[in-house]
Amino acid sequence: MKRIATFVKSYKWMWPLIPAIGLIAVFFVLPMIHLFRLSFLKYDPNQIYLPIYTLENFVKFFGDIYFWNMIWVTIKVGLLTTVGVIVLGYPVAYYLTQCYGIERTLLTVGFLMSLFVTMLVTTLGWAILFLPYGLIQQFLEMFGLIAGRLQFIKTVTALVIVLIHIHLPYAILILAASIQAVPEEKMQAARMLGAPNYKVFLNIMIPLTMPGIVSSTTLIFMLAVSSYLVPVLITGYSVRVLPIAIWSYTSELLNWPFAAAISVVLFVITAVGTYLFLVVTNWMTKRGQWEMV
Amino acid sequence: MWGRFGLKIYIYIMLFLMLLPFFIVLPVSLTKTSYLAFPPQGITLKWFIVCFQDRILVESLILSLKLAAISSALVVTIALMAGMVIERNQFRGKIFLETFLTSPRIVPVIILVIGLLIFYYSIGLAESFTGLVFSHLVITIPFAFRTVLASVVTLDVQLEWAAKTLGANWFAVFFRIILPQIKTGMIAAFLFSFISSFNNVTMALFLSAPGQRTLPVELFNRLHIGGITPTTPAISFLLALMGVILFIVLDRTLGIYKYLAGAKG
Repeated sequence: MKRIATFVKSYKWMWPLIPAIGLIAVFFVLPMIHLFRLSFLKYDPNQIYLPIYTLENFVKFFGDIYFWNMIWVTIKVGLLTTVGVIVLGYPVAYYLTQCYGIERTLLTVGFLMSLFVTMLVTTLGWAILFLPYGLIQQFLEMFGLIAGRLQFIKTVTALVIVLIHIHLPYAILILAASIQAVPEEKMQAARMLGAPNYKVFLNIMIPLTMPGIVSSTTLIFMLAVSSYLVPVLITGYSVRVLPIAIWSYTSELLNWPFAAAISVVLFVITAVGTYLFLVVTNWMTKRGQWEMV
Repeated sequence: MWGRFGLKIYIYIMLFLMLLPFFIVLPVSLTKTSYLAFPPQGITLKWFIVCFQDRILVESLILSLKLAAISSALVVTIALMAGMVIERNQFRGKIFLETFLTSPRIVPVIILVIGLLIFYYSIGLAESFTGLVFSHLVITIPFAFRTVLASVVTLDVQLEWAAKTLGANWFAVFFRIILPQIKTGMIAAFLFSFISSFNNVTMALFLSAPGQRTLPVELFNRLHIGGITPTTPAISFLLALMGVILFIVLDRTLGIYKYLAGAKG
């Protein structure tokens, strides 16, 4: 008894940690363990799952070419979005660190306000633009680029455009923070020694902002492969990605063990994607030179 | 010289494209027709008035505000309690604990919500408001915790010592010494949690009871199930407008950059 009392007394200062640790443990760690376990349980149409361990969910998933195709489409959408966001966002982030006054306010509001608006609004706006005979069609017809009904709304291109728009602000924020941290003297030194602009960019800017590029890339990839609201609303079921499958197996088909198995696969894709990207960037930038993530 | 000019043109084209979907919903919602038309056929504010007369919409707005207010007040309190202890003490596993408390951000939201849904059915929290609040706490705590930690670091411990020496109890120390110093950080943490909770679609879409919809879920249903009338773009325009106003106000008062750098949707 006495030992317990001293134990409690010596850890008494820790009590304010209890709500936070409890919250994460109960409402994050436990559900994730439960989900992982569920992916190995047997599906039953009446009771949803039976307490029998089996690999049949994964066998069904990997034995079907349909799901392999789905993995491929998911990764493709994720990669296209990530590359688009970084390539389009980097110059914007650079410019944001260089301007000031009213222009800076205008650009900050313009580029980052969508963080404060639910992504449904962005999606609806693009959906209206993409509609057959909508604004984009009228614009393209003006230049005689297309004729007839535009079939754009249900394509991967439309999906990637919306995903890029939604995720661009996150990348701009992270990239701007790391571009801001690049010392001006280093760039001036390179210029004084006669380096042309593209060399300053390739040899100074890119390596020094690598941590920002890495953390925005991994974040955007994770968000893009796991997004399902935009695919559901923009492409419906014509572009099948893993999150849509998770959704329909959960709420429509009520096959929870299979939905859990797809979730595990999706998580592995995000984890492996992040890891591979770290390995590649470490290798390309001579490992250990910059602290990653 | 030309490079700089080219960059400027590129930035403004991008700015136009970024704002285009927000601007397009305005003319579409002003049309007199009961279907979407562009360019609008006649100008009317009818659809905006319809928004406020729609009882389901108003109820969903109230539910959203309630959910966001409760969960962000709770999350800031929880994060502050943990942040103070972690910052003030040196102990084994401190870094691990910091990582642990921000760990929900490494799992995609769709996976998190499926996990919670299944878990809630087994513990009887399914389709309850309480369950929804907890789910919002989980998704907002990583950001709230980091924001709180960043402002707790700036506290001056000597002021607390002085107050204690002069006979203040912990209650007085907390409310009159600690809180005034970290007020801005707390407000920022609260407001950003509020906004991300208010705008969150996923959690409520899966976890709330069928009759109990938050505003984003109501909007999602109208978009997904179809039959879009000009009310939907009208709500969207109002939400976008609210977002812009909030953004400008927060940028002017707190400074957005400082806090948003660690944000995640």
